[in-house]
Amino acid sequence: MNTRPYEGRLVRLRARDSEDAVAFHSWFNDWQVTNWMGVRYPVARGREAWFVEHTPEPGFTRAAFAVEALADGRLVGNCELQCELEDRTGTVGIAMGERNAGFGTDTMRTLCRVGFEVMNLHRIGLTVDASNERARHVYRKVGFKEEGELRDHRFIRGQYRGTVVMGLFRAELKREETQ
Amino acid sequence: MSESPFQGRLIRLRAQEPEDEPLLYEWFNDAEVTEHLSMRYPLSHRSEREFIEKVSAPSFNGVQFAVETLAEGRLIGGCGLQDGSPENRGAILGIAIGDKSYWDGGYGTDAMRTLCRFGFEMMNLHRIQLDVYANNLRARHVYEKIGFKAEVTKRQALYKFGEYQDVLVMGLLEGELRWDD
Repeated sequence: MNTRPYEGRLVRLRARDSEDAVAFHSWFNDWQVTNWMGVRYPVARGREAWFVEHTPEPGFTRAAFAVEALADGRLVGNCELQCELEDRTGTVGIAMGERNAGFGTDTMRTLCRVGFEVMNLHRIGLTVDASNERARHVYRKVGFKEEGELRDHRFIRGQYRGTVVMGLFRAELKREETQ
Repeated sequence: MSESPFQGRLIRLRAQEPEDEPLLYEWFNDAEVTEHLSMRYPLSHRSEREFIEKVSAPSFNGVQFAVETLAEGRLIGGCGLQDGSPENRGAILGIAIGDKSYWDGGYGTDAMRTLCRFGFEMMNLHRIQLDVYANNLRARHVYEKIGFKAEVTKRQALYKFGEYQDVLVMGLLEGELRWDD
């Protein structure tokens, strides 16, 4: 029994607070970050502040977290699970401001553990840009299975890209590095 | 699969409607009906209208049904599952058959089974819990018959009619619901 489900090896998930908006604002205006996300237009500082201010406290239907480094508490990303009450399914949202593969993997692993052990989910799903090989590798490493591809699902930078649908059940979550 | 999740053998569950108000008012101001319910004080028409309004947006957090007979479409009671906890997958059951001419005819039992099945099959619950007053032997018999187990006795937890009585907590887990009498 792990009584500290929000702590991974490198990161900790905590509730979001107003001060986080400054960092989120810079990430969501960074093409390197938003290239893989749904964010298509620039985000104004005030709008990002409004989003953070209006993020509900973590709960079952939306468990949104800030991700900080265990070592020094600095903000390195954010993540969330949006869940359906009766289906017990969660959908992952994740954005790492610091693109260090270790942080991303540990964040996913920790978020999925929270989904299963705190929230009692049956399934965790996500969608990922088909050309985002690095993310797909991380998700597979954590245990997600690729279930299909929505072909030409998004139009970004002058071309269509596919979206891969991935899913994970409790018993499939790989908790430790196996490679 | 084709069977409606709202339908039992004798009754069906449907949403509460504003036109149900007069019967609810009559039942829940009837001492014979409320003897084993939590109501203590007379209820106004306004409070019944507000209740129906409040339950008009059912969700996992709380769902309230009207119980009507399959044969005549007659409104005979109400039931619901409240305080849904998504992480525990638990909810609290409440039921009342207000039309006394339908007591002892299997209607309450069928409503209980249909409601519990709805909780397990449509809301994906793991556990359904209820409170029953210790001297309500008829209800306890019904609950036990369909699979509920008495788990806790809350001693002298209820003061009604000038004296204290015990309240039992009963629970039903997924897979325990029984349809055979």
